Parts: sequence; C-alpha cells; structure tokens
Amino acid sequence: MRPQTRLVAFLAVFLLTLASCGGAVSVSPAPSVATSPFPTTLTDFQNRSVSVPARPERLVSIGPSITAFLFALGAGPRVVGVDDFSDEPAEAATRDHVGGIKVNFEKVVALKPDLVFTVKFSDGTIEKLQSASLNVLVVDPQSVSDVAKTATLLGKAVGADGEGLARSIQQRVDAVKAKIAGATTRPRVYHEIDASDPSKIFTVGPGSYINDLIDIAGGANIAARASSAYPQLSAEEILRSDPEIIVLAASPYSAKPSDVAARQGWSVIAAVKNNRILAIEPNLINRPGPRVGEAAEAYAKLVHPELFR
Amino acid sequence: MRTVTVLALLATALIVSAVAGILVGSVAMTPSEVFAALFGSNDVSGTIIRELRLPRVLGAALVGGALAAGGALLQGLLRNPLADPFVTGTSAGATLAAVAAIALGATAPIVPLAAFAGALVAVSIVWRLARLGGSTTVLTVLLAGVVLTSFVGAVVTFILVSSDRLALRLRAVLGWLQGGVSVISWEELAVAAVIVAAGLILALILAHRLDAYAFGEETAATLGVDLDRTTTAVLGATALLSGAAVALAGLVGFVGLVIPHALRFGIGATHRRLIPASFLAGAAALVLADLGARVVLSPAEVPVGAITGLVGAPFFLALLVRSRRVIV
Repeated sequence: MRPQTRLVAFLAVFLLTLASCGGAVSVSPAPSVATSPFPTTLTDFQNRSVSVPARPERLVSIGPSITAFLFALGAGPRVVGVDDFSDEPAEAATRDHVGGIKVNFEKVVALKPDLVFTVKFSDGTIEKLQSASLNVLVVDPQSVSDVAKTATLLGKAVGADGEGLARSIQQRVDAVKAKIAGATTRPRVYHEIDASDPSKIFTVGPGSYINDLIDIAGGANIAARASSAYPQLSAEEILRSDPEIIVLAASPYSAKPSDVAARQGWSVIAAVKNNRILAIEPNLINRPGPRVGEAAEAYAKLVHPELFR
Repeated sequence: MRTVTVLALLATALIVSAVAGILVGSVAMTPSEVFAALFGSNDVSGTIIRELRLPRVLGAALVGGALAAGGALLQGLLRNPLADPFVTGTSAGATLAAVAAIALGATAPIVPLAAFAGALVAVSIVWRLARLGGSTTVLTVLLAGVVLTSFVGAVVTFILVSSDRLALRLRAVLGWLQGGVSVISWEELAVAAVIVAAGLILALILAHRLDAYAFGEETAATLGVDLDRTTTAVLGATALLSGAAVALAGLVGFVGLVIPHALRFGIGATHRRLIPASFLAGAAALVLADLGARVVLSPAEVPVGAITGLVGAPFFLALLVRSRRVIV
C-alpha cells in the first residue's frame, strides 16, 4: 500500500509539473484600497475578475505553492483545506485534504470555503468549482517574477501584507543576483526532471520557473533555446551540449549521481568527468513559492560554489 | 535464385539500412564526420556515434533478425503463416519475466535469461493449446496469444505500481510495452547476441527436419523425424530468439510475422534458406523501422513498435481474411 501511494504521488507531482506548461500570465491586480481592503476586486492569473466582498475566513488552497504563501502571509489559521501535496509548512498537511490531480468537489463544498485558491487546470475543474457557487481565484506562478506578484495578489485576497512579503522575497533574490554579478564564468547547466525513458529525457526550457532559477544562479541552461518549457532531449543532444554541471532534483524516484555517471556514453560529459553531478531538494526548486530566494541561493551555490566560500 | 545470391542481396540491404541508421540522429552530422567518429576520434561526436547510435542500430538489427527467424520457426512448426512470437504471446511471456526480473533488482545478464525462460513457458502453453483441437487450431493459437498478451499487460501494471525500483525506469518500462529500441549498452548487446546466435544455430540444425513438417506430422514421423525432440528443440530455439529480442526492445509486433511470410513467397519454404534469409531481412526491416521511428515526428521519437504495427497490422488482417476463407 505504502509504495503504491508513493508511486502515485510521484506520478501526480510529475504530471502537475508537466501540466503547468501553459506559460506565464502577468497579473495586473486592481489598485489597492489604502485603508479598508474589503470589498475588493482582483484580477487573477486567468484574467478573471474576482470580487472578494469581505475578509475571507475559510480558505481552501489547491496548489502546494499557494498553501506555502498563505501560511507565509499569516493566513494559515484560516486555511481549512489543502490539496494532497501541500506539505509546506508541515502544519499545512494537517488540514483537510481535498484531492490532488483530481479535485474532490464534494469535499471542497463540504468545507464551506468563502474563497478557493487553485492552480490552473485544463480539465474543467475551475468551471466545476464555480458552478458549485464557490468564489475561485486562479493563482499559478510560472516564473521568479510571478512569485512576487503572487505574494501581492494573495495578500490582497486575504487582507494581509502581501507587498511586504513580495519586497522581502525580492530582496533575497536580488541579494543572490548581486553575488552572482561577481561571477567570471557562466557554466553550462543540464537540469534533469526525468530520464526514465533514456531516449526522451525531460528537462527545463524557456518559460519554466527552474529555467529562471538557473539564470539567476549564473548558469547557462543547455536547453535555454528549446521550443517549450519542458522539452525532451535525446542522450545525443545532451552529450553534444556537454554540460559542466548536472543538477538532479533528488527524490526517491529520480536517478542518483552514480546512475547518471554510469549511463552509456555519458563519461565524456564535462560534469561527469569533473564529478559535478549535484542533487538539490525537489520541493525547494519545483515550487514557485515564498522560498524562491532560498531556492535561488541553493541553486547558485551549486553553480558558483566559489562565490559562497 | 541461388541461396547464396539471396543471402548476399539481403546482407547488402542490411548493411545499407545500418549505414542509414548510423547517419541519421537527433544531433545532425555530415557523413564524413560520422565516419571519422566511427573510426577513431575521441571527442563527443565519437562517443555519440560509437556509444549511442552504433549499439542502437546493432540492437535493432539483432531484435528484427531474431523476431523474423523466430517467426519462421513458429510458422514452420504450426504449419501456419499467422504465427510469430508477438501474436502467439511468446513475446508477452518474455516481457512479463523480464519486468519481474527488473522489479527484483536483476540487471544485464539475468534479464535476457529471464526473458528466455518467460518465452519458453509462453510458447509451451501456446503449443499445448494448438494441439487441443482439429480445425480450430489457428484460432486457438491466436486467441491464446491475445489472452496471454493482455494478461501480461495487466500483471505488468500491478508490478509497476507495487515496485519502488521500477519507478526509476517507469517511462522506459511503459515504452517497452509499446516496443522500442532506445539506449542499449554494449553489455546488454553482447549477452543478447550470444543468446540469438545460440537460437539461430539451433534453428539451422533443425531446418531440415522442419521441412518435413510441411507434409504433416505423420509424414514427418515416417520420414524419420523424432517429433517430440524436434518440437521441443524448435520451441527452445524460438524462446531463445524471442527472449533476447524482448530483453533488448520489449514488445515489437509483426516483424516476425510479415518478414518470413513475404520471403516464403519470394524464395520458397525451404527452411535452410528461409531462416537465415528471415534473419537478414528482419534485421534490415527493423533498422529501417527504428530509423523511421526517429524521423517521422522528429524531434519527438515514436516507439518502434508503433511503426511495425502501422505497417504490419494491415498485412496481418489481409492474411487472416485469406486464411479464414480456407479454414472456416
């Protein structure tokens, strides 16, 4: 039962990653009201106009990074339901679960939320939530700059200081950028998402959050000119682009550095020769959440360890 | 045409397709770069050609050849053009055993051997079923194949979901069920080559006795063929060939069916020439199919089983219609 659940979770997270290939949508929140924030009207990530009549007291979050934001904004006590993958902070996982890849609509309705936050879905989930007379705000950050906007938007939605959080996030990211400005090299980085089919290896391309992180960390993504946010490369193409650093988001299901080094033909890659196949915590870098500064710094330490000594 | 001429022509076709297979890949290289890489040059191009493309092309050749030779054997034994390791469920048996072996942590030499054992069990089951009835033999064999294949699909799904270890190779195993020759290591290739060679030699030794089967088992017996021993040996050779093919490339359909059948029209049913000719033609066909798999939707790659299915399934249906007219 246990390994089965974990496999399903792995698949789900993987698919969620792939599902979020829609590209970034800019947020243009309504002008903020200086004194009393409610009632307010917000423009969400799907350019929908969402009215929030009063300070929402029962929140449901469908999306691990949204959950992390709500807790970071101090709205944790008002969160009554989260998706199955929300485990940051640990307290979030104690809330009622409302499903993962498939949302359990009955459960969401039963929690009587006055505001539901959700990532984008292309299978009609959002329409279904709306037709159950729920107030839905779509929040789906896809880039590092989206993260600060998300903090601002969510702050307005729950009546908290989102701009303050956005500023502190931006400061931390800027600190990493300032440090990286001193770098004299720009190592080629290959970031592996999934290589379980060795002829079609998933990596990150332009328009993806991790591509932004690589950029901020002072690396040159080998797939930076790919045609999609999550392109598939062949082993031939990876060998040809000769990455100097290979980064693995180390989950129990991903390949280990020794597996990567042992792949047929990969011994010619600079990163393998110089033993620079590095692991990074997947939750930290896969989720465009309030820990983006920490994520950028962790990635920068992998790409430019010489600047952090 | 003389046997030597036929084999020389087919060998040339194989070499031409192999050269094409090595020249085309996801990283574009000029022919002169490719040949420089093939013979020397220790740079990345050399590694791409020698470590990635060459074993893949050789693997495709080995798989296609083994499946076609296995098909020729099964068709001779069952006296029926509708048999091959894929439709009879032999490949499915090999797949199940191989996936189970991987789930238990086995690697290169064990996996093809497990696949051989699985193929042997499956082919024996099909053989027993084939002998049950009189006129329904063909349908029994095909139904047994269908049942075995879907049963294996179900069991493999259970193994996949319950095994932590397989998650690492999840998409590879799923791709395997569709048939695919992706990255093949020299070690895997060497083990499979030895098994295929053993199967092929055994098949050639049995070729003469299989010819006698064409006249019916009783006639074969009066011609002095030891039926039980021959049957067992033929099934063993088929299992060796399809086990090795499955271990390298998973469930690749229809190569074993179409190639020997088409050759029978061209060069006759004498097994001493049909078996080596099937091997060469099957090898060339799968190398080309794999090339097609890489090219048709480039840069995306199609599983090679989708290519062989696309070409082979209509052929199979045409055969089925024709044979039903005869049988029913």
